[in-house]
Amino acid sequence: MKHIVKILTLLVAIIAFWIGLLETSMLPRSYTWLLPIYFTISLGCYGLLMVGVGLIQFRTCPEEAVLLQKDVVEAKEFLKQRGVDVGSD
Amino acid sequence: MELADKAVGLLLTVISLSIFTYYTFWVIILPFVETDHFIHNYFLPQEYAILIPVFAGMALISLLCVFIGFVMLKSKKKKA
Repeated sequence: MKHIVKILTLLVAIIAFWIGLLETSMLPRSYTWLLPIYFTISLGCYGLLMVGVGLIQFRTCPEEAVLLQKDVVEAKEFLKQRGVDVGSD
Repeated sequence: MELADKAVGLLLTVISLSIFTYYTFWVIILPFVETDHFIHNYFLPQEYAILIPVFAGMALISLLCVFIGFVMLKSKKKKA
């Protein structure tokens, strides 16, 4: 809930800034009109950057895999003792 | 496999940062540079700053729609 308030505040501030630029016409119109597209592109770039960083930092857990294999062997042993068919290997 | 994932991640990061830098230069900084400056030779005219993103976004949305349609068709076929 708090996060969305922050995002909305930022959005409103950006829109107010943009409308102010449009009204005062400090810059030529054609440049001011580019601002929303610029923000959209920035958002897209931010998303792409986050995906890239997440891919780089993605952790694989080899030690957990070994532990899981141990667990599987243990469970198979246990079930075999109770007479449950768990297949060969 | 792990290395390939990392390479793809690095590629995505580099692409996004370079697009962001180029576009920032194009849209934010270039209006404040005189029109006869040599740096204008490295950028397309200002109209393209709108045209290219809009067309890219349209292409992305269309491809997404086509993909979703294909997936829906496939899942329906599986059910029947």
